[in-house]
Amino acid sequence: MSTHGVGASVLRKEDDRYLRGRGEFVGDIQLAGTRHVAFLRSPVAHGYLRNASIPNECRQQVFVADDLAAVAPIRAHSTLPGFKSSDQPVLASGKVRHVGELIAMCVADTRAEAEDIVDAIGVEIEELPVLSDMLAAREAGAPLVHEEWGDNVFLTTDFEQDLDPIIARAAASVTRTIRTARQSMSPLEGRGVLARWDSRLEQLVVYTSTQQPHIVRTGLSECLGIEHARIRVVAPDVGGGFGYKGILLPEEICLAWAAIKLGHPLKWLEDRRENLIASSNCREHHYTITVYGDANGKLLAIDAEATVDAGAYSSYPFSACLEAAQVVSILPGVYDLEGYRCRTYAVATNKPPILPYRGVARCGVCTALELMVDALARELAIEPTEVRFQSLIGPEQMPFNNITSKHFDSGDYPESLRQVIDTIDLDSIRSRQQRGEADGRRIGIGFAMYTEQGAHGTTVYANWGIPMVPGHEQCTARLTPDGGLELRIGAHSHGQGLETTLAQVAHEVLGIPLEQTRLIHGDTAITPYSTGTWGSRSMVMSGGAVACACDELARRVLRIGANLLQCPVEAVRLKDGAVQGAAGSIQLAEISRTWYLKPQELDTEADPAGLEVTAGYKPEQDSGTFSYATHAAVIAVDPLTGEIELLDYVIAEDGGVLVNPMIVDGQILGGLAQGIGTALFEEMVYSTDGQPQASTLSEYLLPGPTEVPDAQIIHLETPSPYTRFGVKGIGEGGCIAPPAAITNAINDALRAIGVELSVLPVTPRRIVEAVAAASDSSLGKVTT
Amino acid sequence: MSKVHVSTIINDDTVEFLCESEQTLLDVLRDDLRLTGSKEGCASGDCGACSVIMDGRLVCACLLLAAEAEGSTIETIEGMANGSDLHPLQQQFLDHAALQCGVCTPGFLIAAKALLDRNPDPTETEVRYWLAGNLCRCTGYDKIVRAVLDTAAETRN
Repeated sequence: MSTHGVGASVLRKEDDRYLRGRGEFVGDIQLAGTRHVAFLRSPVAHGYLRNASIPNECRQQVFVADDLAAVAPIRAHSTLPGFKSSDQPVLASGKVRHVGELIAMCVADTRAEAEDIVDAIGVEIEELPVLSDMLAAREAGAPLVHEEWGDNVFLTTDFEQDLDPIIARAAASVTRTIRTARQSMSPLEGRGVLARWDSRLEQLVVYTSTQQPHIVRTGLSECLGIEHARIRVVAPDVGGGFGYKGILLPEEICLAWAAIKLGHPLKWLEDRRENLIASSNCREHHYTITVYGDANGKLLAIDAEATVDAGAYSSYPFSACLEAAQVVSILPGVYDLEGYRCRTYAVATNKPPILPYRGVARCGVCTALELMVDALARELAIEPTEVRFQSLIGPEQMPFNNITSKHFDSGDYPESLRQVIDTIDLDSIRSRQQRGEADGRRIGIGFAMYTEQGAHGTTVYANWGIPMVPGHEQCTARLTPDGGLELRIGAHSHGQGLETTLAQVAHEVLGIPLEQTRLIHGDTAITPYSTGTWGSRSMVMSGGAVACACDELARRVLRIGANLLQCPVEAVRLKDGAVQGAAGSIQLAEISRTWYLKPQELDTEADPAGLEVTAGYKPEQDSGTFSYATHAAVIAVDPLTGEIELLDYVIAEDGGVLVNPMIVDGQILGGLAQGIGTALFEEMVYSTDGQPQASTLSEYLLPGPTEVPDAQIIHLETPSPYTRFGVKGIGEGGCIAPPAAITNAINDALRAIGVELSVLPVTPRRIVEAVAAASDSSLGKVTT
Repeated sequence: MSKVHVSTIINDDTVEFLCESEQTLLDVLRDDLRLTGSKEGCASGDCGACSVIMDGRLVCACLLLAAEAEGSTIETIEGMANGSDLHPLQQQFLDHAALQCGVCTPGFLIAAKALLDRNPDPTETEVRYWLAGNLCRCTGYDKIVRAVLDTAAETRN
């Protein structure tokens, strides 16, 4: 391993500007003549828009659906059989379907004045019955979110198998209902848009806080009906994404349209209230699930029905199918099953569309299945880890096609479990439980395991048939006349550290010092097309593309270097940033300067193609890399107050070859914090009339420095057989398992008093209520 | 309505500005003085991204009116480094990779500086509770806590 290439924990190149407060986010960009936008949003969850009265004095500053009649609605279709499309109007027309839906765009010199105009508009809405709960969505007589469908189901997906022969020989079965909360992704920077019309280039320029500038450009092109060449999308520094910034926003389209119409720049920065009530919703699954096991604890089969609350619209580009369809395909987890049956429903409700939050579908699936593994173990009175050892896919089976045809590329799942058991010292926890706690609290330990399919490509997404199917990822690599290297990618870095890790990849190939390599990203005008940063893909895909482009650059500099050294190309090699031959060596900077500025010193055939390369990359097998991990939590719970303390947390993670282990640790720890939020705190509650009950961060609880403990991370390293360098995607994994591990630990602690929690987040109130219900039940009382 | 004239010292510079009476200190810092390192994460004092030090006290610039800054001394992230030399806290954040997207970072650095200014030898618990007014969605906090503790140890030595 070189000290700066793949595998080196070098410090991050991008940090200096952030540490000095010099990052440039959308909100930090000022353009002369900018006016500001505020939106009138629906105050109700469901109703017919009857009338909007706009005071005459501000009529020119207000735009409603009729004004944007030429703008196409957002449509994210899926070709999965039976998928029903929803048209999401950019500004509501006819009907509003969730609180916070855009009704009117107001423009003024300042945001405050624009908000005053919002307040001055009178809007009449004939309210309709509200569908606020996903389980009511399929009941007869439920309000219809999209009347033309005849029901509220975006998509039903199935995996069918006759389980009767397996059930007949199962020694045990357990059935549970499990529910995860609707959450808000809450990146610290919300969305923001600054749009202007460049009259010289006749081009729309949109600065927007996005993970996918090229996809936003395509979406704008389709909705506005103008060609790509007239649209430039710039994603500057972006303050966290987590999936929220991987969708096309109606606000982006509104500002783009208005910037063209009005001719001056327009700015809208999402405030926290807008973020919470109208936009960044995610997760919300319900499972009814039965697992079957043999007497040794081997998991034989799963039979499940899952419902996903997809909200009112299918968001672009991932659609309303992504979450529920993935539940079917990944619920079997890390286990080698004989039988599997699953049906999922993606239902529409009068709530904002759910968007693909980090660990899309995986977090809910892991919660459901791993809670069931522990429930089965309790039923059989064996250690939950024993069920896992009995049931895991073994390293000798790799690569392995599981029951839903997921292709697990590599790994040693039992080893990650063994290492966590040893590190957290399971035996000592069991001994401590035997002794009891002096303060009356109860100690519990919980495990959870998952795989994280990342960088999945064409074959996977073509099956879903959503508007965006990823293919080859591209990089343009350019040697500059002074020997520097520019890397241009279409994906985006917003915390992942790609400015550093992709320079490490280039260094691995070309030997150019990291400080001489610059990553250029986030601007459609100067980067190759890409579907963007999502799905734990950028290190695999953009990293592979950087390596391929640098490979070709290496071939060219070898030819030029050999020409300068007057020897055959077979007689030179590239080492330490120089072309070396028997007679001497020549630095890349000199090769580069010669090609650009002193070509008279080269034979004309030296290399006419030059020192700028665009290369595309795709792994040999594009069904995805499978990182995996075992998480274990030790908790103390007070049954009287429901208070939880996290005492210990251990993670054994295998992300293949790690380009920068320090950065990977940061991804894992950050994911853990988000997973703790999912497990214990975060819940976007809606009233029965569809009103969100949290509109500030005082009500929507995010974990802070006092809630997230130190955690131990163990790295296993099984290379992917299919990717450049053997890397795997790891960006999402940290947040997938904590809800299951922590809830299993709580259930382990409360097992002796007959309490089992299965609704997230596991709040003190839920614990106290469950303890009270178990207590009443043991006294023979009937509880409701 | 006429604007309010405000005289302050910001990052050791005497700064005078005119503001509307309803403008927050954060708005003036960011929009008028172009000190955009302080961020708006919530505008309700819940996230700490707008943290600045005013007359030695850690405050949320989003909760103060700019007019209230009259006669005060303010420290923002832009004044933290000494030219090209990073402040010890900034250097430790870099060494620990205690930042990812960078939006919360200025607020954490300012809050940590306010802590170490008054308590050069904090315990881990004191660091965690002092920083409880700041939210980070990327790092999981532990590296931030280590960076602050190591800065304190380094400064004492």
